[in-house]
Amino acid sequence: MQLGELLSAALNSAGYFTLVYPEYPSRIRGGDNNVQIVISNSAQLTPRQRVDALFALDKNLADAHRREVKPNGSTFNAVSLGLIDVPAVKSNPLVKNTALAGLIWRFLGLEKGILSRQIKKTFPKYTAVNLEAAEAGWKLASKTKGLDLAPTSSKIFGATGNEVFASSALKADCQYASIYPMTPITSLARYLAKSKIKVIAPEDEIFAALSTLGASYAGKRALTATSGGGFCLMTEAIGLAAMAEIPLVIILGQRSGPSSGMPTYSSQADLNFAIWGGHGDFEKIVLAPGDLEEIARLTPEAFNLAERYQIPVIILTDKYLSESRFSTNQAIDKIKIKIDRGKRYERNSKIYNRYKLTKDGISPRAYPGETTFLTNSYEHDEEGFSADDVQTRQAMMAKRARKLASLPGGYEIYGHKSAKEIVVGWGSTKSQLVELSHGFPQLKFIHIWRPWPFPEKMKSELKRARKVIVAENNFSGQMAKIIENETSVKVAKILKDDGRPFFFEELTKAIEAKL
Amino acid sequence: MSQIPSWCPGCGAYTVNLALKKALAQLRLKRKNVVACYDIGCSGNMVNVLDVCGFETLHGRSIPVATGIKTVRPELTVIAQAGDGGLLNEGLNHFIHAAQRNIPITLIVNNNLVFGLTAGQQSSTTPQGVRVRGSRHENPLPPLSAVDLAAAAGARFIARVPEGELGLMQKSFEKALCFKGFAVVEIIQPCKIWAKDFPKMEFKKISKPFLDRTKFTGRANLAGILYSKEG
Repeated sequence: MQLGELLSAALNSAGYFTLVYPEYPSRIRGGDNNVQIVISNSAQLTPRQRVDALFALDKNLADAHRREVKPNGSTFNAVSLGLIDVPAVKSNPLVKNTALAGLIWRFLGLEKGILSRQIKKTFPKYTAVNLEAAEAGWKLASKTKGLDLAPTSSKIFGATGNEVFASSALKADCQYASIYPMTPITSLARYLAKSKIKVIAPEDEIFAALSTLGASYAGKRALTATSGGGFCLMTEAIGLAAMAEIPLVIILGQRSGPSSGMPTYSSQADLNFAIWGGHGDFEKIVLAPGDLEEIARLTPEAFNLAERYQIPVIILTDKYLSESRFSTNQAIDKIKIKIDRGKRYERNSKIYNRYKLTKDGISPRAYPGETTFLTNSYEHDEEGFSADDVQTRQAMMAKRARKLASLPGGYEIYGHKSAKEIVVGWGSTKSQLVELSHGFPQLKFIHIWRPWPFPEKMKSELKRARKVIVAENNFSGQMAKIIENETSVKVAKILKDDGRPFFFEELTKAIEAKL
Repeated sequence: MSQIPSWCPGCGAYTVNLALKKALAQLRLKRKNVVACYDIGCSGNMVNVLDVCGFETLHGRSIPVATGIKTVRPELTVIAQAGDGGLLNEGLNHFIHAAQRNIPITLIVNNNLVFGLTAGQQSSTTPQGVRVRGSRHENPLPPLSAVDLAAAAGARFIARVPEGELGLMQKSFEKALCFKGFAVVEIIQPCKIWAKDFPKMEFKKISKPFLDRTKFTGRANLAGILYSKEG
């Protein structure tokens, strides 16, 4: 991961786009830790099944990944090259990665100064020892391949999904977070903990979700994040947010389940759980950003939606989107966001009823300290008193159900806009779809960024199609089934649930086979 | 802004409600600046009869919600209420960690020694050997003590008050509400409905708090402010 971060940062400043896709086991030392770095002069990048060059730090890794090297590709074994015997690494084995970075940098045929500058930035405290290691690695690389790509002149911004989730939440004025560590959202907690907002290490995900809800009730924007296992414990908070009408934003980073599953691998199998988690009938919104720009737009929007409708909003991500390092030439930090705190209590109102029945189902929200009011997880009347009479129940269920009556958008179209054959994906498959749309100019590609409520306008889009193919990273085709249920359109499925994201070659082949 | 209480005649919850109102009035706290987070259970129905910012949360979860509120709005007075079921059964982990964190919240424990609202099953504070009406057998288990657990987890304000002691209850609430840290006030209020044969409890009122948390643990008959040490 450290190596991928260093190299991608240096490559980005050299004018290349990169995708860094890490794989690691659930253990602290040893095992198969590998990182795939895709380098391009185009921004849309997808992980590959076959690589041009494999750099292995030991023999086991070289053997394990040899079959992933293209027939005309190269394999470098750091041990046989003597990388671990150079004095810099011998005296400090921690700089092994930097030595390998030097070796790779020369193999790529790039100017040494760029890497050196990046090393100075990445290791401000330990610059000298890392520069020495990189130099030693550089010297070991006998041949220079040289990138046959023209670098771009645009400024390239590189980040993991989690970094952008964190920075966007802060930009949206999030003031509180409580996150129990769990792959793949642990680094998100770390970024937030570095900021000035209040962060509490919870005893469990129940506390994480409910203290977040408490902070939100008190009038501050708040966030929690978890993976499927923790989300199991959060469902009671989701129901409470719905019933008590309190904004609640949860980031759900999917990983391979069920149960402990493959904790450090990716999945899109929590879609049904996100949509249906919680008992009783209530409204919620599920968002699924697919790349850095969308994370930067939809994270603040999640807070707006949660506060505008006073409901739970779940943002789906996964290990691939959260922990891979992407790059873009869009100025992510300059994306303008709007803050909408929703309908608020007016100071001069004589009578304030927290759950006032309104036409749009949304009641003005007061914060404690502004006036006294009741908040209730039981069914309640307009004042908030517990109630179980027929009339109140019917009125309140109808009020809460009205809130999301007309939610626009939810998807984007790529490729051939009027094509009758459509490939559909959602969430983290966006970059795959966008890259594939160049290879299949005859197809329409739909990326769903709001799985729930199901995008209304998309229904007619799908009903008009001759063929609908849904590609998703789960075993049973959860989105495919939702589409069938919502539109009665029979869809073809491309499914993958082995913990890895779709690789470009396999998805290309799978689409060809379905056409 | 209030409804008629749902409690049975003779229930200790009436006294708790009264003592809390008196304490809030005595401290001249503005109602809108007081947030009370309630557990699910008979005692949690106080949400409908205490005119502050009341928040009926979930069973065992008043502490997490209260912690979130107090963390972002430290100027508010925040109360978490829990029954024995919501504190020592469902939400016990939150109790231990709240004591460890020491965030200034007043925890009111309405210990009626039984699951009341679900019609009389034994809770983890039901005395050993007692048969409550919703259980088929006498309780074979020794009870857990909220006071002992609070002490073990490092709580810095701990009080135990029998239901009949209105003055002590009000005083304990006042001290707890002003305490700069996590403050626990347990009210012993045996349910009058689901067990008529709770052993009669004789309490020994102490005149001043202990200086050492180990001195009152294991002594279920001690009443009063058992420990109070800010810092």
